Amino acid sequence: MKLVNMIETLRTKTVKKIAYGILVLLVMVDFIIPRHEVHFFGDKIPGFWSLFGFSALCSDYNCIQMVRQEWPYEG
Amino acid sequence: MINDFIHPAVFYLLGGLLIPLLRGKVKQGYMLLLVVAAFLAVVIMPQGTYGVYEFLNWKLTFGNVDKLSKVFAYIFTIMGVIGVIYSLHVQNDGEHLAAFYYVGGSLGVTFAGDFLTLFLFWEIMAFSSVFLVWYRKIPASVASGFRYLLWHVAGGLILLAGIILYYSISGDLTIRHLPFHGWWPGDIEGMALFLILLGFIFNAAVPPFGAWLPDAYPAATVTGAVFMSAYTTKTAVYALIRVCAGSEILIILGVVMAIYGVVYAVLENDARRLLAYHIISQVGYMVAGVGLGTQMAINGVTAHAFCHILYKSLLFMGISSVLYVTGTAKLTELGGLYKTMPRTMIYTIIGGLSISAFPLFSGFVSKSMTVTAFGEEHLMWAFIALMLASAGTFLHTGLKVPYFIWFGKDRGIKAQEPPRNMEIAMIIGSIFCIGLGIFYQPLYALLPYPVHFAPYTAYHTWETLQILLFTQLGFFLLLKKLWCENTISLDTDWFPRKGAKGLMWFSNKPLANTETNFIGEVYEFIIQKPIMKVAQLMQTIDTVIVDGTVHNLGRFTIAWSRMILLFQSGQIHHYAMFMTAGVVALIVMIVRLF
Repeated sequence: MKLVNMIETLRTKTVKKIAYGILVLLVMVDFIIPRHEVHFFGDKIPGFWSLFGFSALCSDYNCIQMVRQEWPYEG
Repeated sequence: MINDFIHPAVFYLLGGLLIPLLRGKVKQGYMLLLVVAAFLAVVIMPQGTYGVYEFLNWKLTFGNVDKLSKVFAYIFTIMGVIGVIYSLHVQNDGEHLAAFYYVGGSLGVTFAGDFLTLFLFWEIMAFSSVFLVWYRKIPASVASGFRYLLWHVAGGLILLAGIILYYSISGDLTIRHLPFHGWWPGDIEGMALFLILLGFIFNAAVPPFGAWLPDAYPAATVTGAVFMSAYTTKTAVYALIRVCAGSEILIILGVVMAIYGVVYAVLENDARRLLAYHIISQVGYMVAGVGLGTQMAINGVTAHAFCHILYKSLLFMGISSVLYVTGTAKLTELGGLYKTMPRTMIYTIIGGLSISAFPLFSGFVSKSMTVTAFGEEHLMWAFIALMLASAGTFLHTGLKVPYFIWFGKDRGIKAQEPPRNMEIAMIIGSIFCIGLGIFYQPLYALLPYPVHFAPYTAYHTWETLQILLFTQLGFFLLLKKLWCENTISLDTDWFPRKGAKGLMWFSNKPLANTETNFIGEVYEFIIQKPIMKVAQLMQTIDTVIVDGTVHNLGRFTIAWSRMILLFQSGQIHHYAMFMTAGVVALIVMIVRLF
């Protein structure tokens, strides 16, 4: 079960720290990346899409709380 | 070169008929042969018009081959191969036949050159696919199947009404570009185009007509759902591209659909229902792109339909494998499967990364083209909304499903990898998903218009990575709020489900009470009793007059017969004596008279 061991290695705290490092790097590089395809103002703001991605979840979650109608399974 | 055109649906519709007659490995080999032959028929097919037949006063065209129909036929037949490999182990011949007729119907629609042929295959699709739901053979699937059929019959009838109306105006049934402009039909021609568009969007699962999709797909059989995820909505997208490209109303509907599917997937517990909502979301991109109607948008929509079929079927194959092995696809009952089904997890994650448009996966090269088409036309609200839907897609399909099934809370479920044929199908799907993400040029070459788009620019790749990875951060921070409940969320299903409950209440309470207490009484006094009186009178007439007359006539006949019998002794001299007496009597009477 080498595959299982590999998956378990990916669940360690070191990998988690590396992942956070990648996130910081993503925002930092966004300051210097060339912008040829500016479609609207958000494209000009460094880190805009990071914030966008992060807040997407909250808006989704709030939307469903407003419209949700529960129903039991039929079997 | 008419001989080069062999309609690929022939392999599915006619070839499929022999499946129930075969057994074991011969049957499996035969099914594979059919689906590969259908794919090769598409490969060698030259462009042009074939299979034109006169029927009554109409000209039916079965083989309208151009770049658009061919690219859809490619993906439909590739998916046919993958789907059949995935379902090779299934023993139920009925299920195989339903799947073959479903795919055959879809190919029939793809090559249809007139509305009548399109409608014929459109209905074959609806009526064959419902069996993929019913063959699950659980009460929920029976109910879902009927609801599925109701929606599709309604959609089919609306489409037929549109076709008839259009034919009565134009006298022509040829499928051509007939966009509907505006929000509501202003004249009779507008009404015809509106009804045709409405018929198509029923099958594309556009809200509020899309409730059948998350209702029926999770109720379908393990392998049936894999087929269903690929054909109905994408065939509708094909029809929309062919007929309705540039209908502005589709932009709004598509964008709403893209968000709607994502929002409803948030708290969904059944993994297959969650995936079904994401079909709605992804088809939303396509519907919106069709509404935009530019060359780039149509290319994007076509490429996205192509990639979508591959990654969505891969996702359905992954989750259906879990259902096949563990008997459930509910996130509240699953967890910790990475120890027993790690390979299935990897295939599903590849599907998840593809649908989320992660760079180097197939969704990235198609979805970005569609979304950029909106940016190019400066429709920023649509651009932002589609980006938002993209983040939501990654959240649920790329993160939530794999996390709750393969990690999350370990439920100690005993499981193993699915049968080999299922795994081979998932490997093929995975290869396509990664392959198209890296080597996208062959796909772009198949698209209907020349492609002027490069997906892997530095900024675009970076923009996507930021959205997706920060969504992932949000997911892990808000994980506790995303635990599912053991219920389903209703969407426009609310109307048929609540409506059915309301109807039952109305029938059982006010209607039944009124019937018994009021209408029943009225019926008894006004109708039943007078009828009984009249009936009694008629009976008396019948007994006394009619029967009496008949009886007396009978009695008289019998008495007369007995008397006659006295004279009929059988002795010739008696007869001679009676005759002589009679003649003498006659002579005496004549003499007396004169």
